[in-house]
Amino acid sequence: MDERNVFKKILSIIPGLAIMVLTLYGLRTYVEPWMSSAVILGQKGWMVKVLHLNYILLAIIVGMLYRNLLFGGRIPSWAEEGFRTTRLFIKTGVIMLGSLYTIQSLAKIGGVAIVLILSFVFGTIFLVMILGRIFGMDRSMIGTMGAASGVCGVSAAIATSTAVKAKPSEVALAIATILGFGIVTMFISPIIGKLIGLSDYQFGAWVGTGILNSGQVLATCLAFNPTIAPGTAVAYGEIWNVVRVISIPFVVFFLTVWYWRAEAQTEHISLFTILKQKFPVFVLGFFAMTLLSSLNILGEEGSSTLQLMRDTMSWIFGIGLVGIGAYIDVREIKAAGGAPLKVGLVAGIAKYVIALIVVLLFISKEANF
Amino acid sequence: MAHTAPKKEKGMTVFRSDRHEDMAAIVTSTLVVAFVLFYMAFLSGPISLKAPSDGKILKLAVSENAPVKKGDVLLTMEVKEKKVTHGQMEEKVVSKDIKSKMNGTVVNIKATEGSTISKDKDVVMVLKPEKGSLP
Repeated sequence: MDERNVFKKILSIIPGLAIMVLTLYGLRTYVEPWMSSAVILGQKGWMVKVLHLNYILLAIIVGMLYRNLLFGGRIPSWAEEGFRTTRLFIKTGVIMLGSLYTIQSLAKIGGVAIVLILSFVFGTIFLVMILGRIFGMDRSMIGTMGAASGVCGVSAAIATSTAVKAKPSEVALAIATILGFGIVTMFISPIIGKLIGLSDYQFGAWVGTGILNSGQVLATCLAFNPTIAPGTAVAYGEIWNVVRVISIPFVVFFLTVWYWRAEAQTEHISLFTILKQKFPVFVLGFFAMTLLSSLNILGEEGSSTLQLMRDTMSWIFGIGLVGIGAYIDVREIKAAGGAPLKVGLVAGIAKYVIALIVVLLFISKEANF
Repeated sequence: MAHTAPKKEKGMTVFRSDRHEDMAAIVTSTLVVAFVLFYMAFLSGPISLKAPSDGKILKLAVSENAPVKKGDVLLTMEVKEKKVTHGQMEEKVVSKDIKSKMNGTVVNIKATEGSTISKDKDVVMVLKPEKGSLP
């Protein structure tokens, strides 16, 4: 009887799962290439280069369209079981995200810079916590916005959301806020950098610390100096950004403890007991993947094996993101009001400005690596 | 008349608990990694080596059907290396050896000595990886 139930359950997953997989296939095979070649406002690939529309955002947007337009506000029962596999894909994708990074890249940047970056990451999270309490935000929204603002946007928000029981609409709000902020800073940062005479190293350090989304760090550095070479803004910006992203597991752990500590106190249970049940074990997989990547077990940098590994990761992540989008109810976003937007913007601006001040005061014109 | 309560949307997981889901994610990612490594080591076909950077091919160090080991020089290219030092862009022309990242055999050489190639666009040669090694 149990075997038949399992078989029935697997069959029930297929319709919704097929929608998610086929949607991503369509986006990556047809829509993304078209966007890269479409000329808008006189620029080829404007949607990709300026708006940073890629499969990640498109997957979420299409998922939202399914729910809010096509399905009339809720996922239909015949597809529901399939869409409930969403978080499995997301968690698997986050684990495999670790393959993009190596411990050697941390060694390159040096201890002082690591301390500086982590100070900004956790400093921003604390600021969001304070502001979130002032504005009366839900704790799950505070946790998600804190991770998004402190680390690198989309990946951090999604990785944290499962640990702090965030609703998909809260994830969407966090992502939308930091991406919107990032687009503005993408345009003004190169201008500011040139006006005050920042070197490539200083600009890369500022942007790698102060801009919230990894893709926008890259674009902003290239806008400052279009050359891709050692010693250019993009080379430094990416290294500083890597340190921020590698902090994701620590941030998830910290926010999990923070979130569930209140419940432990309410229920008169020890925090250790709660964490045994709630600790997001999957983030340990992220560390394991980074370790494997560092040891070249997943293939050497530039190898076909590592390329396939990363492509596979992006597919798994993308399928999960379609599902995330399908759980976002626009009515919930409206109900959240403007508080998350205000908190995200204040935290983002504070980080952006303070990072610039710190770079001007403490970061030399030239790197020592 | 019986009142029918609105159907509540189910939770966002097919698993019994978050912990079960975490473990499933770890198992899934392990299986995916294992499959990719197995596929690349034993099932993948010939690999096209694309130009690693813009430049000119100075010398082809291997011929068709030649066996290669990881670290063997496949070709030598002339490239422009750029570096920013003290705020100034320095550019110098250097020759760079392109080495094999895997054990295998050269199946086909598509480029010729003296030809100019574009990064990630032009295929320089096609290599067949040795079974059991990761390309």
